[in-house]
Amino acid sequence: MSRRAVEIRVGLGSCGIASGAEAVRDALEREGAVVKAVGCNGMCHREPLVEVLEPSGRSILYSNVDAPAARLIARRHLRRWHADLVGQASTPAAGLQTRPEFLEKQRRIVLENCGEIDPLNIDDYLARDGYRALERCAKELSPERVIAAISASGLRGRGGAGFPTGLKWERARAQADPVKYVICNGDEGDPGAFMDRAVLESDPHRVLEGLAIAAHAVGAAEGYLYIRAEYPLAVRNVRAAIRQAGERGLLGSLRLEVREGAGAFVCGEETALIASLEGRRGTPRLRPPYPVEKGLRCHPTIINNVETLACVPWILRHGAEAFAAFGTRSSKGTKVFALAGKVNRGGLIEVPMGITIREVVDDIGGGMKNGRHFKAAQIGGPSGGCIPARLADTPIDYDALAATGAIMGSGGLVALDDRDCMVDIARFFLRFTQAESCGKCTFCRIGTKRMLEILDRLCEGHGRPDDLQKLETLTDYVSRGSLCGLGQTAPNPVATTLHYFREEYEAHLHEKRCPAGRCPALIRYRVTDACIGCTLCAQACPVGAIAYRPYEKHAVDDTLCTRCDMCRQACQDDAVEVV
Amino acid sequence: MTPYRRAAWAAAVLVAACVAFLLADYVVAATRAPREAGLVKSLQEQLKSDASLAPNLAAEQKRITEARLARKLRDRWLAWVLIAAACAFLASAKRSIRAPQPPARASISVPSRDRQGAVPRPLTEPPPLDLSFVDTAIAQHGRTRESAIPLLQAIQTHYRYLPDEALRRVCELTDVTPAQIAGTSSFYAQFRRSPVGKHVVRVCHGTACHVSGARQITEELRRYLAIPEGADTDPSRTFTLDEVACLGCCSLAPVLMVDGHTAGRLTPASARNALEETA
Repeated sequence: MSRRAVEIRVGLGSCGIASGAEAVRDALEREGAVVKAVGCNGMCHREPLVEVLEPSGRSILYSNVDAPAARLIARRHLRRWHADLVGQASTPAAGLQTRPEFLEKQRRIVLENCGEIDPLNIDDYLARDGYRALERCAKELSPERVIAAISASGLRGRGGAGFPTGLKWERARAQADPVKYVICNGDEGDPGAFMDRAVLESDPHRVLEGLAIAAHAVGAAEGYLYIRAEYPLAVRNVRAAIRQAGERGLLGSLRLEVREGAGAFVCGEETALIASLEGRRGTPRLRPPYPVEKGLRCHPTIINNVETLACVPWILRHGAEAFAAFGTRSSKGTKVFALAGKVNRGGLIEVPMGITIREVVDDIGGGMKNGRHFKAAQIGGPSGGCIPARLADTPIDYDALAATGAIMGSGGLVALDDRDCMVDIARFFLRFTQAESCGKCTFCRIGTKRMLEILDRLCEGHGRPDDLQKLETLTDYVSRGSLCGLGQTAPNPVATTLHYFREEYEAHLHEKRCPAGRCPALIRYRVTDACIGCTLCAQACPVGAIAYRPYEKHAVDDTLCTRCDMCRQACQDDAVEVV
Repeated sequence: MTPYRRAAWAAAVLVAACVAFLLADYVVAATRAPREAGLVKSLQEQLKSDASLAPNLAAEQKRITEARLARKLRDRWLAWVLIAAACAFLASAKRSIRAPQPPARASISVPSRDRQGAVPRPLTEPPPLDLSFVDTAIAQHGRTRESAIPLLQAIQTHYRYLPDEALRRVCELTDVTPAQIAGTSSFYAQFRRSPVGKHVVRVCHGTACHVSGARQITEELRRYLAIPEGADTDPSRTFTLDEVACLGCCSLAPVLMVDGHTAGRLTPASARNALEETA
């Protein structure tokens, strides 16, 4: 038995573990393989992933691996006799060759190490020029030059608002107060966005390095990483990274501490985050004074998003020009998106600014699932909006997106197909912001509540004639009458859907009909003549609304039906339709 | 011993008695049958020579027939008793296995925002809580007002909810005030003031999960666990169902998490299975 020097990587990020990567790792280890536990490489739709690096440098990526497949993979690569005896063709999971289509249009800066290094091993990061930028800062780059480089790169905050990072640092630097703080904002509460989690889990040292550079630039001696408690793996990996970096003395005199967020979306807002760090309820306050003037414990504080900080080491290593070479006039560099929804290939993607939404959905996402039609892209989560398919050529750029009524946001991108009801989507986001409103501003607290009531009414078929006008008025009031980003942007999903899909609202209002067939109160299930009487739907129905009649056409009893959709999913002959 | 368990024992004894009686009856009848057949046969033989024995034979046949009919009736009644006893046994045994949990702790005066569920107020005094963990946590996280949230998080992780005694102890030992605890613990979604079920099920209601049918998953699980309207824990306090904003596994939507173990690409049926595997 001869062993070839191969490296076997298994993606053990949260989504990898969720799809069973631990069993795959155990199977590989039982076969005697030395497995390198890496983070997420973004191809979540193919998890669990096993990547084998051969001595020749060739990398073979196996996707959707399960334990039996993992055993075969291990044998194929670790035991030559197996390959000779059984042949290459026996490996069950198709080996994806070096660059799958999914990666074709991507350009990886923030995610360059994700899925390639072991997040718990600092040597892996050091081997990839890790902490080199920080080292240069200590030796040759003065804080002014760091800030100049960041300003020249055109880096803007990736948390959503897009404030120029260089400018923020410069203002904090200008403060006379000797005590300053740096904070990394990892309170990624936006439903549908998980890039911060992926970076913190898969490449924590990069964020630490970015934070340490920020501390060097503004002159801070203390830093916090505020990470959602819902991301236990990220918290664990970052804590381990801080310990390792401290042991190697890489962070100098900078003291870093991880604080776990306690589950409040509003704490992604910087003043609310500070309140939370100080042990208070996370309510935002009036700005100015901005945190760069009076932040944590009334000292100048800069707060940067995880993704922003992850860009920083790359910029200092490759130069501001290299970063600014990507993107458009006002938006430079790349942006990470969590591509999800009805696309074929979902996952974490990093694209250069200026790429169009259509390219993202069609080329990277591989088009819509089940051959359905692309209807809209929801971008920016609860603060963002829905961009309809006819505007799909909008480039991804802070200003171009803002012009459509959406925002860049933290980077959730959910593709919706013709079976998604836009009123329901607006209601979903509004329910979220309404529940997460901290209650400080009246317009946000009560305005969102009233808007939600209107949307609930519409979805239940009890809309009143002036509801759409009322929605428009409230949209305006709430966004103008709120203190922080949450309230100001909370009406965005309603405003954009109302603007681009008004006919759907009108169908709900006037015809009491849900064109997409989603709103439970407005739809009925019907069995068509295609029914072969197989009784699958009757078996699936949890409330017994379909009588068990073998070899006869079934019927749905509307009075019992809860619109759970299980019959339609159970039917093998597409004989259950929504009317 | 709970009344259910006592009832189960009684029913089991009755079942055993019935079975024993029926078996004994059968054995007696089976051994008697050839003897009775022989008797009748010999009487019939004698009748051929002596006609005066005819009433004897008739009487004997009548006696045997009556004995057999009586046995049949007795056995039939016993069989009914047996069935009833078996049913009673199953029913009470099932309840005694799902023995009622120790009564839930009440929440103190502080109202809270989280979905508390219909937790009944305790009728009996709950067992005293081991508070030594609180002291350790305070030693680790400090005594300033700023450490309030890390302290609450540590307490919640340890006890799985925020027990009033522990909170009182925090107020006694640190600068954190009861008002601050009331404020923060009701503000942040992570904190609960009432005990949770044995397993916590978090169903993701993020955008991707919403469009892929998270509502159906939640509804199916509520139905499956028989969670009453307005509550979040099933009557046997095994599962607490929680709707969360996002678990960050959007490509596997819809997703749920049972005690830290994530299951993805769910259908209502596979969601049920995910729970069954845990229970």
